[in-house]
Amino acid sequence: MHESADEHAIERILGKNEEMADHNREHFKSLGACAFNLMSAPGAGKTSLLETTFKIAGGKFSSCVIEGDMVGDLDADRIKKVGVPVHQISTGRSCHLDAQMVARLLHAEPLEKADAIFIENVGNLVCPAEFPLGEHRRIVLLSVTEGDDKPIKYPVIFRNCDLVIFTKCDLLEHVDFNISEAIRHIEAINPAVKTMQISAKTGYGVEQWAAWLVSEISEFKQHLKSDKHVHHTAH
Amino acid sequence: MHEAAIAKSILEIVGERLQSLGAHTNAQSVEVLFGEFRNVDPESVSFAFDSMRALFSGCSDCRLSINTVTAAAHCKDNHHQYRPQAENAYRCPTCGSGIGKLLQGEELDVVNVVIEIERPDKEKKQHARVGR
Ligand SMILES: Nc1nc2c(ncn2[C@@H]2O[C@H](COP(=O)(O)OP(=O)(O)O)[C@@H](O)[C@H]2O)c(=O)[nH]1
Ligand SMILES: [Mg+2]
Ligand SMILES: [Zn+2]
Repeated sequence: MHESADEHAIERILGKNEEMADHNREHFKSLGACAFNLMSAPGAGKTSLLETTFKIAGGKFSSCVIEGDMVGDLDADRIKKVGVPVHQISTGRSCHLDAQMVARLLHAEPLEKADAIFIENVGNLVCPAEFPLGEHRRIVLLSVTEGDDKPIKYPVIFRNCDLVIFTKCDLLEHVDFNISEAIRHIEAINPAVKTMQISAKTGYGVEQWAAWLVSEISEFKQHLKSDKHVHHTAH
Repeated sequence: MHEAAIAKSILEIVGERLQSLGAHTNAQSVEVLFGEFRNVDPESVSFAFDSMRALFSGCSDCRLSINTVTAAAHCKDNHHQYRPQAENAYRCPTCGSGIGKLLQGEELDVVNVVIEIERPDKEKKQHARVGR
């Protein structure tokens, strides 16, 4: 005897990852930390940007780093050298971090209290776009050596981010990268996005970036306070 | 690539629905929507799905049917509706302005699972008795 049942309820395929991301978001909130997800192609300069940021602007806010790497802990060592606590997630063969991996870390190793948590995702402009981790802001780095057409080739990641940083701007005079053309492409896909130009090598633009971070962090803390206030009056 | 993770998530959703209907159930097919403004390659997901399904109980004969959803956008300035495409840098072919709002094309959903329910032996007998 056979019967058939049609199950029509629509369900998001990556719904589990989204639930986990919400869970992580609560963790970050309980640490009082604003979390930033840094995404880029391999070698665009994520670790270098963090090193320079901590060296130049380390006094403006306290930080903690989560390093996602396929193998090894070279990046984590670089961050340790500039005196910032760092936690490593080895993704093995996976080409992206997912919310479950971050949750596992949060449960295994309590993170230091910090104003900002920087999550360095695995170098890749495709997969990380699909897996939110519980971050408050999504940042994409595009180095000027990669070509100004990349936003057109990878529209999903450039649409779903809050800030695009053009990195290695000290090399602009040596490459044919048209910044205003790149900005035009990005704004066509993501009208609300902010863009910035930085060189981790010379420190150019780092002040503007640090100011952006400070303002995001203080806005985040303001929200936390009013959240708590709402809770208090509700009970 | 992350397509294996997508295939696994689909199978997990099917598995949960089978479980909620109790034992003796098999999935015949699962239908999904992939928006073209998501980073998912249908062929890779299909391949991963077919190589993984036997590992999920009740799913070894489950067929995956993928419907791709083309993107549709309102342009930012003049509110024409259009399909954002790479060759136009995702701009409105009528007025040249960028995407304001995506109306569709960001789907990544399971929309339907067809499940076969096999009545257990005891119930079969019961059924026969009632019939007599
Ligand atoms: N000229 C120049 N090179 C840079 C800059 N930032 C990073 N690099 C170099 O780019 C390479 C990759 O940088 P890294 O920070 O490891 O990139 P990640 O893979 O995104 O973390 C390294 O050789 C860096 O020295 C920069 O601002 N200017
Ligand atoms: Mg790195
Ligand atoms: Zn238009």
